[in-house]
Amino acid sequence: MNSKIIFLSVLSMLLTFSYDVFAKAKKFTLSNGMQVVVVENNRAPVIAQMIWYNFGSNVEQKGKSGLAHFMEHLMFKGTKKHPDSYYSNFISKIGGSENAFTSYDYTAYYQIYPSEHFEKIIELEADRMKNLTLTKKNVEIEKNVILEERFQRIESDPSSLLDESMRSILYPNHPYGRPIIGWKHEIMELNYDDVKSFYKTHYEPRNAVLVISGNINLKKAKEIVKKNFSKIKNSNTSKFKETLDPNLNSQVFVEKKHSTVKQDIWKKLYRADSYNKSIKRGIALDLGMKIIAGGTSSLLYDEFVNKKKIFSMIGGFYQGLSRGEGYIYFYAIPNEKIEPKKIDNLIMKQIKILVKNELSLKRLETEKKKYFYDSIYRMDGILKPSEIYGEALTVGLTLSEVENWNKNLDDITIELVKEEMLKFIENKNYVIGSLQN
Amino acid sequence: MKIFIYILSFIFLIFNESKSIDFSELKTKNTSFWFIKDNSIPIISLSFSLRGGSSQDPDGKEGLSYLMTSTMDEGTSKFNGIQLRQFKKLNGIKLNISTQKNKIEGSFQVISSQVEQGFELLDQVLNFPKFDKSDLEKVLKQMEASLKIDQSDLSTLSNNKFNDIFFKNNNFSKRIKGTQKTLNNITKDDLIKHHKNSFNKKELHIGVSGDISEKSIKKYIEKVFGKFSIENVKPNFEKFTDLPRGQKVIELDTPQSSVVFGHPGLSRSDKDYFSLRLANYILGGGGFQSRLYKQIREKKGLVYSIYSYPISYKHDGFMMGGFQTRNNSVFDTIDRVKDEWSKMSKQGITKKELDEAKAYYKGSFTRNFTSTVSIANLLNIVQFYDLGKDYFSERDKIIENLKLEDINNMIKKKFNKDNLFFLIVGSPEKKR
Repeated sequence: MNSKIIFLSVLSMLLTFSYDVFAKAKKFTLSNGMQVVVVENNRAPVIAQMIWYNFGSNVEQKGKSGLAHFMEHLMFKGTKKHPDSYYSNFISKIGGSENAFTSYDYTAYYQIYPSEHFEKIIELEADRMKNLTLTKKNVEIEKNVILEERFQRIESDPSSLLDESMRSILYPNHPYGRPIIGWKHEIMELNYDDVKSFYKTHYEPRNAVLVISGNINLKKAKEIVKKNFSKIKNSNTSKFKETLDPNLNSQVFVEKKHSTVKQDIWKKLYRADSYNKSIKRGIALDLGMKIIAGGTSSLLYDEFVNKKKIFSMIGGFYQGLSRGEGYIYFYAIPNEKIEPKKIDNLIMKQIKILVKNELSLKRLETEKKKYFYDSIYRMDGILKPSEIYGEALTVGLTLSEVENWNKNLDDITIELVKEEMLKFIENKNYVIGSLQN
Repeated sequence: MKIFIYILSFIFLIFNESKSIDFSELKTKNTSFWFIKDNSIPIISLSFSLRGGSSQDPDGKEGLSYLMTSTMDEGTSKFNGIQLRQFKKLNGIKLNISTQKNKIEGSFQVISSQVEQGFELLDQVLNFPKFDKSDLEKVLKQMEASLKIDQSDLSTLSNNKFNDIFFKNNNFSKRIKGTQKTLNNITKDDLIKHHKNSFNKKELHIGVSGDISEKSIKKYIEKVFGKFSIENVKPNFEKFTDLPRGQKVIELDTPQSSVVFGHPGLSRSDKDYFSLRLANYILGGGGFQSRLYKQIREKKGLVYSIYSYPISYKHDGFMMGGFQTRNNSVFDTIDRVKDEWSKMSKQGITKKELDEAKAYYKGSFTRNFTSTVSIANLLNIVQFYDLGKDYFSERDKIIENLKLEDINNMIKKKFNKDNLFFLIVGSPEKKR
């Protein structure tokens, strides 16, 4: 209930990504630039509503890490018309649920509620885009909450501390290298003026994608959304500019030792092209990674867990849904103590063999089937479709790219998958991490 | 591969006016289950439960049920582990069997065009698991690693320690995953025997929702669950008597302490069950609105997350809560929790709070009907707790009829700050 942030802290990011061909979303754009997507599903009289802002920690100025997430917490503090926790209280009273999360590329707020209250919730959401009444006291108290959050999520967890260091090395220049929640010393320095100016600059209709999924039709959605959001004006035109990272020229091993660690864990994090560069290549890489390293049916798992019994678990995945570069993540849990460098050699040697000899058409066809089935499962429910459209549109993909996602499957050949996997093997932009006692 | 375009033309509402839902109670030769047909999406979702779970693990073999449910899909009479996982992928099958304190639970889904293959696999896993020595060794290694990882996770660690102390001599003190030592005592024969005992019809409940006809689903249920034994190995559940009070500190070098607290509660069948749930919603449940949240997080910024909730089983129940806070604010925060507790017992709740809690509980129920998975799950749970066929239509009335006076009387009896037990893991600083 209280989770107000998404950490792309690697172990938790096992979400895969594939789209469905049959969720017919409808989209319209308001004159102020706000995009609205409606996914009708009348199974139950419930709506899942999400407003996605196309910025996250990526737009923070240097020295102000944690500001986007801080702002997200403060969005619950009330407006002049609906003061204090009026909004949250209203959601509770109607049996709804709500939360919000901040990531590198986006900040999103969602509510799941009985559809009869659609109009009121839209009014409340529109109100807090520009009319928040913040006090210095709000800011100071919330800062303590956020510091507690940082202690709970990061500082008490050696594995998260390791991820944080690994990212800071992998992205030496891009904001992706800074923790979403912020560095402790920078959170402590954030103040009322920082927050005010962040809110004013970024919370704008032109930066928002509203997704409404569930028991709602397009006509009604259009009418109510227009009534409430159209009048909101953009106050500036500042554009976000993507920073690029240099190629990493040295090999970096990060070691995190901590007294509470009882199990060694080996991790490896790569930068990789995102879906924004090529959806087809992204899917090919995703499928290749699934064959080699996805779950308990992967080739690596079979080799190292079933046969050689070197690791109790091994896995990896590609995440390409980002505005900047995507990433590839690997982890292994050794049965006995092994040097991290040796683990890396073992795994990389095996991946080369597998890509050369075991990437077969039959395996690809099986993965494609699963990919397609997974996209059907994603349509069971109302929150997932909102997440899919919201996330994709805020990182820069289009509605038609989302809707035609699975059509790419037909064009993905085993040769293309091999090509992507070979590119991955040659990729030098990585960091290796090791968690030890 | 052929990709068919499925248009959501079968949209329909399964709700009637009174917010109750229409399900059918279906019977095969000797298995009954609840079912809702829903062809808005080509998926079949099934949820089942078996009373028992880790509390029934034999002494010295704690972790047996968890090990069993983790090993069942590693190999069956017809499929080895690799074949099984390929078969699941090829046919869009999802299967998860898990162990909880009071039950074994299963969740199964299949794409409706692959229904035959889906139930074939379910039949294999539930009725013909092999528990081969090599698979067992592999899963044991994974559990060993998982136990070690749990030890460096502050939240899991504190919950485990709480579990050990709070339930003391009760069989609920048995940890779901057991310990390294108890896991080593488990043999293949134990697993075979435990499988036979656990998967019996007497303790079985099934809910199904999805794109399949009544006739077909009956056939498949009989094929899979008809094979369960009818011998009744009655699970033994002990009441939570003599729960500890006060507090205990377990020292650990961390920047923040994790605090887990507990208190006696009520069973699911208690007449005051809903009163307790609503009262707790006001005190420490419900989103960003509870008293604990408002007083301790919103006003003081002492924690990121704080909550309490009742856990009600068929035989008995308890209340639990938790938070993490900096080492120097641990005892201050504990005092504030106690204050809220005593304010609760002294002043009870207000009419306004009750009305809002009622509105929440009535309104939130419909969220259970947004996916076939949650519908199947709900059908299963209502049977598991014996809530009755009319539960869906009665629930709102039960909540609506709750009276402020009765709830406040219950609160006076149940919410006693002196009955609270706090377990602290970390390096809390003593009060100055």
